[in-house]
Amino acid sequence: MRGQEQLNERPKVEVDASHQYGDLVVYKRLKFAVAANEFICICGPSGCGKTTLLDMLAGILRPSEGAVLIDGRPANPKQQSISFVFQEPSTFPWLNVRDNVATGLRIKGIRGSEMVEKVRDIVEMVGLTGFESYYPHQISGGMKQRVAIARAFVTDADLILMDEPFVSLDQPTRERMQNEVLDIWRHRRRTVVFVTHNLEEAIFLGDRILFLSAKPARILAELPIALPRPRDPVSPEFMALRSQCMHWLHAPSGGQMPAQGKLNHTENR
Amino acid sequence: MVVSSTQAGTEASSQAGRGELSFAAASMRTTLWNLVSLACALALWQLAATLVGSPFFPAPLKIVDAFLQLATRGDTFGNSLLRHAWASIERVLVGFGFGVLLAVPMGLLMGLYPKLYAGTRSVLEPFRFIPPIAWIPLAIIFFTGLTRFAFLIFLGAFFPVFTSTLVGVARVEPIHRKVGIVHGASKYWTLRHVVVPTVLPDIMAGMRVGLGTAWLTIVAAELAGGISTGLGRMMTNYAELLQVPQVIVGMLLIGLIGFLMNEVLLLIEKRLFRWRWQVSL
Repeated sequence: MRGQEQLNERPKVEVDASHQYGDLVVYKRLKFAVAANEFICICGPSGCGKTTLLDMLAGILRPSEGAVLIDGRPANPKQQSISFVFQEPSTFPWLNVRDNVATGLRIKGIRGSEMVEKVRDIVEMVGLTGFESYYPHQISGGMKQRVAIARAFVTDADLILMDEPFVSLDQPTRERMQNEVLDIWRHRRRTVVFVTHNLEEAIFLGDRILFLSAKPARILAELPIALPRPRDPVSPEFMALRSQCMHWLHAPSGGQMPAQGKLNHTENR
Repeated sequence: MVVSSTQAGTEASSQAGRGELSFAAASMRTTLWNLVSLACALALWQLAATLVGSPFFPAPLKIVDAFLQLATRGDTFGNSLLRHAWASIERVLVGFGFGVLLAVPMGLLMGLYPKLYAGTRSVLEPFRFIPPIAWIPLAIIFFTGLTRFAFLIFLGAFFPVFTSTLVGVARVEPIHRKVGIVHGASKYWTLRHVVVPTVLPDIMAGMRVGLGTAWLTIVAAELAGGISTGLGRMMTNYAELLQVPQVIVGMLLIGLIGFLMNEVLLLIEKRLFRWRWQVSL
């Protein structure tokens, strides 16, 4: 659908990097690209270096070799606008909901009525209207994570990184939040990189899924999700995709996986 | 609208409502119990004084008498109680103020650059274990007047504030720093908006400890002599005259002023740290 028009454009994010801590090789020639406004999910076994990857994308960790480019320039949080939704609670307990959401805007020097308006809009979008003056200890865990999501989407971020943001939430809240994120993303077109080890979550959310192997991590497979949204997790198509993906998620470390069905094999692309 | 905000609303407001109710009721009950125990203590005192019947064991009413006399007519030298009290308070505030002004930046700096602290701690730390009272002889030689007392109180107030600031910086959550960094925040922004808010409760706690040490020190320093005003001085004068009620007035006043200063700090804390206390909005 949107894919066609993007073919001519330069990708928003280009990764071609290797990274190692001492002798520990985390990534060996990891290579992929993300199109503008794409919602991409990254799936992999725990310990495959997802945090390292996100830190590289956020520009707070330089790969030992190669580069991470955003709009053709090396990722740098001081020059590009990047937002991050963390796995653990990251709201500032000393700020109320309104000021927490405004954090990114304040750092970028956006103040006054422009800031007030942006905050008001996003707070409404995540359903926290009326709670602007509440402090984090007065609201639930789900609401806190909504604050973090609002904080990420309120800036005109080039890139929004989400690190298993719903992992600590209960199942119903988690499902509601997934829908909310899709809703916000629909309204505020942004490029999203969403890391998760939950397969259903990835199939439910993403335009595309990248499967990482265990360390040294490389891309095992890439799977575009063509299902129309909203997606139904119990539909036969969804279930079929899910069982196909199981192979990639449970792949033995670095093992050779045969290309299968309509999956595009992108290894050493 | 994306979320059922009504459901989320009831969740949070019921939480706040419950907190508000129990908070008010609990504070009423606490006040009541404090009044009861105060009355009991006074009654016991009066009873004991009547039973002993000695001029060296004055009853509460004698203390009130002595207080009124000191407040209106002043002591044997004509210095009023207010003058004595203010002299002590002024010394404490000046010394304590300088202590906090130096301890907070030093604590922040050494907390942010732990190598700085690690490299100098053998110089700094031993001073922590020299009680301010042990400095009195040197202070008498080197300084006079307000400077002498301010110096001693500075020594007493510095370390509690410095140490708690230092420890507080280590408590800054890495995730909170990271929020700033990923948004491209400068080092100054992180200091001002992440480090300071995190450490502020520790600084305030250190200040309350430091204030206690300051009061401890002022009375001891004033007992050492060389001046005519101050609550400690007044007490020594009357002790030499064996006039117990006036000495007790001085003691009670020291306790009361220390208590009030502590309450003021607590009040500021409650104001500043609304985000930690369960208060109604």
